[in-house]
Amino acid sequence: MNIESIVRGSHITKQFKGFKVDIDSLNIPKGFATALIGENGAGKSTLMNILAGVRLDYKGDIIYFDGNMKPEEIRENIAYTSPVNYFMPNWTIEQVGDAGRLLFEHFDYDRYRQLLIDMDVKAPEGKRSKDKAIGKLSDGMKMKVELSAAFARETKLLLLDEPASPLDPLMRDKLCSMISAYIDEGSGEKSVFFSTHNIADMENITDYAMIMEQGKIVEQGFVEDLKEKYIMVKGNRADAEQAKEILYTIQTNPYGFEGICLDENLDKLSGMDISTEIPTLSQISVAVMKHYTKLAA
Amino acid sequence: MRILQNSGVAIYQQIADQFKEDILSGKLEQGEYLPSIRGLAKDLRISVITTMKAYEELEKQGLVTAVQGKGYYVNAQDSEMLREQHMRKLEEYLLNAISAARIAGISDTELIETLKLLIASQE
Repeated sequence: MNIESIVRGSHITKQFKGFKVDIDSLNIPKGFATALIGENGAGKSTLMNILAGVRLDYKGDIIYFDGNMKPEEIRENIAYTSPVNYFMPNWTIEQVGDAGRLLFEHFDYDRYRQLLIDMDVKAPEGKRSKDKAIGKLSDGMKMKVELSAAFARETKLLLLDEPASPLDPLMRDKLCSMISAYIDEGSGEKSVFFSTHNIADMENITDYAMIMEQGKIVEQGFVEDLKEKYIMVKGNRADAEQAKEILYTIQTNPYGFEGICLDENLDKLSGMDISTEIPTLSQISVAVMKHYTKLAA
Repeated sequence: MRILQNSGVAIYQQIADQFKEDILSGKLEQGEYLPSIRGLAKDLRISVITTMKAYEELEKQGLVTAVQGKGYYVNAQDSEMLREQHMRKLEEYLLNAISAARIAGISDTELIETLKLLIASQE
């Protein structure tokens, strides 16, 4: 497989008091959905803000779209959504649409309205709906307005910072469909980079995962490869002590143990009565986070 | 196409197996294109990389060929290979029958007799 990158970064650092985001090399694969996974405070939003151009006080180099585009083209081709208040709080959803048209060459106003209707922010045509100020909307509604404005544009890259967190399960499902459709319509030219601290809802549509811990990307890869690198193991209580030496992470209870094992170490468990399972991306993420938290402690 | 999330069989493998069955049974004909990778991912609500891996698996088995920029088409199925595939399936089923017989304590002669009887009843 020959994988190109849509964004390449090197030596991206941002020093805070007592905390540093330090990413030696960043490659977001082109034509895929990439998840940035990490605990609260791992540095996900800082990285997102740097990539989106919201934060400029960092060191390092970032190259978008192979370096072939002028800055204004780059801006036109990237849409970004933020978990914090993004629009002026006194604007109405109509005004957000007007601003979108003013700011971007390819902002499809009809599509924006349709997305708002699809996501239940706005009543269907012909029905009256109140045009409330954005600041008065709930967090979920605000995110839906942001997503509508982002998907209404003609872009090649979506940077979505915690898009699923404020959404209800039904809307998370809808968001997954929207991301899949976006990737599909690009036939390999459109990419999505989104952050989340709860990957379970988005796992099915995730192609590539980056796991962040204490400002660094500690594990990354295509999900299918990660699912071959790590394996879920369950076994008897009697073997728990011995398994502890070999497993990547382990949890024991009075009846047995379960944990994640590196596939290359699975041979070392031979002789034990164990069952194995393909782990989910969330199980892998939790294991990696635990592993690195333990190392840092 | 049916995808089970927790069957113990990797999702890419499930997809590859189901296409393989369709190809070997002739449901997908020689020269026909498989659905586009991203289109299938969207329709099945799975990741692009999973469908990619499924198609690569089919390519490895010689069932399909990738064409740059066009997708994957179904190869002509060699009748020798087809026979081989069916033979393998047959062996698998017979092995199941043998282990069922062992569990139930049925003797080999009885098993063979049963098979003969079943063949006769099919004719």
